[in-house]
Amino acid sequence: MSNNRKIIWQYPWGYAESFIIAITLLILGFAINYIGKSTVSAIQLPVNLYMGIAIIILLLLFYFLFKKKPFVKWLSGTPAAISAICFYTFLVLLMGFIPQGLPKASGFIHEIGLSDIVSSHTFLFAQIYFLVILGMVTLRRSFPLKGKNIGFFLNHFGLWLTLFSASIGAGDLQRVTLTANKTDAVFYGVDQNGKIIPDLSIAIQLKEFNIEEYPPKAFIIDDKSGSILNKELFYLKKGNKGEIMDREVEVTEFYKYGVYMSNKFHPVYDIGAAPAAYVITKNKKTNKVNEGWISCGSFRYPGKFLELSDGMLLVMADPEPKKYSSKVKIYTSSGDAFETTIEVNKPVTVDGWKIYQLDYNHKMGKWSDISILELVKDPWISVVYFGIFMLIAGALYMFWIGNKK
Amino acid sequence: MYLNFNNTAFITIVLWIIGSLFILCDQKIKNGRLIGNLFTIIGTLVIIVFVIILWIEIERPPLRTLGETRLWYAVFLPIVGILTFIRWQYKWFLFYSLGLAILFLAINISNPENFDKTLMPALQSPWFVPHVIVYMLSYALLGVSSAVSAWGLYLIKFKTFKPELLNKADNLVYMGFSLLTLGLLFGALWAKEAWGHYWTWDPKETWALLTWLCYLLYIHYRYKHKQKIITALWILALSFIVLLICWVGINYLAVSGNSVHTYSD
Repeated sequence: MSNNRKIIWQYPWGYAESFIIAITLLILGFAINYIGKSTVSAIQLPVNLYMGIAIIILLLLFYFLFKKKPFVKWLSGTPAAISAICFYTFLVLLMGFIPQGLPKASGFIHEIGLSDIVSSHTFLFAQIYFLVILGMVTLRRSFPLKGKNIGFFLNHFGLWLTLFSASIGAGDLQRVTLTANKTDAVFYGVDQNGKIIPDLSIAIQLKEFNIEEYPPKAFIIDDKSGSILNKELFYLKKGNKGEIMDREVEVTEFYKYGVYMSNKFHPVYDIGAAPAAYVITKNKKTNKVNEGWISCGSFRYPGKFLELSDGMLLVMADPEPKKYSSKVKIYTSSGDAFETTIEVNKPVTVDGWKIYQLDYNHKMGKWSDISILELVKDPWISVVYFGIFMLIAGALYMFWIGNKK
Repeated sequence: MYLNFNNTAFITIVLWIIGSLFILCDQKIKNGRLIGNLFTIIGTLVIIVFVIILWIEIERPPLRTLGETRLWYAVFLPIVGILTFIRWQYKWFLFYSLGLAILFLAINISNPENFDKTLMPALQSPWFVPHVIVYMLSYALLGVSSAVSAWGLYLIKFKTFKPELLNKADNLVYMGFSLLTLGLLFGALWAKEAWGHYWTWDPKETWALLTWLCYLLYIHYRYKHKQKIITALWILALSFIVLLICWVGINYLAVSGNSVHTYSD
């Protein structure tokens, strides 16, 4: 910017013009949300693909035909970039404070689109403004591409590609929940919008559901309120000794699967068998000893606790899962069938579906007779990943070079 | 558990203080700077060894709770501080990072933790460690850059500010920002493997993106306006506030209810 005061809208444009445009887009977005009472509906294949190609061609044409024009110079300059970052940041900031996507949102905030910003027209405008400016500056620095601009290119084009493909591909993301059981192969599910998908072109049958658990923890609770009193951590494992609230505690017996019969627990592997521990406690002040079996119980058997003095109870908490997995048989549309294991963090890919371990019947815990799986299809993922890997390369380059020119 | 956090933290703090005193009086004591450096390095090694043993002991990476991330901060800040001190000889910088690390250790001493062994299945992933470590390193670097901005704003008030100071901060921001980018992207790649999608506008993701955007703004502003120091200093200081909300403040916000990033504190 020059020191002489220039008249607004006279080229070259600077911050005033950039921010006026950004704020106009912001208000326009709110107004359209308010009047139209609609959200932006995501476009799907093949429309988004054609539109994406058209946008890229338009950006290229626009740049190469008018690159000498002051308007394009403004679009690829820092003031425009800063206004776009601020516009985008402002919306993300609102998202950071206003709870998003609540089912019963209402009121003015909802009507101008702030209760679901991502699907509002305002966000669409911010995204377009951001992508056009980012696209222009990328083009300006990439033709001709010089060696010293490699970091710039990786960061800017990587970000552009990631945002662009993630946005136009959003409508093609399909997330289907499938509840697998042991009796038959399931080939249908419910998608993220609650719509039933009658035929997924693959079928899944549960063979075995497994939970690996941490040893259960012991707590001292108040008999009346049921609130936990101790701060110490004590795992119930055979031979474990320790202290809880000035009481020496020792576990002399522990069964991972126990069933209570004739006044004691027996190690029995049966549906609904629950962890059980024989615990001896000694109050360090009074030397009073309390001992007995405790168990967290299960959907089938009741739990057991040990009564201590002063209205306190020693209880066993439900063991926390370490990992859970499903052994399943998958039937594909081509007639193949194979067995595999799906675990949290270890999805399996079949016929374009990525299959995730999502949930199980918590009431039955490790005896769950169902396994809830999520099938995800995202045809744009490889383009998004290409952008992400460029960004990673750009970040490494930036870390190495710093701000040295 | 034979590990005693309080004693270890106490030994580390004492070593750091002795080291700082030697460095503070290095004009009067022969080899004061060298001895001081040795003390601070040994103090840092003590806490590093503690983290390693803790990791083995609890059979999972100690990166889950807020207290555990404070512990990592207390490891990384002195490393950054000592390296920067050896490289650029800024005493205040070393004292700042050691002071902050001592503060974090003190908070952990006053909030004893049980170092629970349990780790929910979704966190059992090879991405867990790189995702959190690059964030911790990045926060340490950006924290230091924000200290520079605060120091700069103070110096400007007394008209003794030198532009080179902000150039040093820029270097820290570039390094911190690139690690911030890596943390965000590692998180996205991990989320795809664990939850089926790389971005779900989880409250923590939203705030992490906000932090990233703020530093992005700073970098672009500095790139264009090298001379406008005061605005740059303010952007840098405010960015760190956003970072702090993302790191610790998020648990207190109305939006945090259904976040996959809510840890037990």
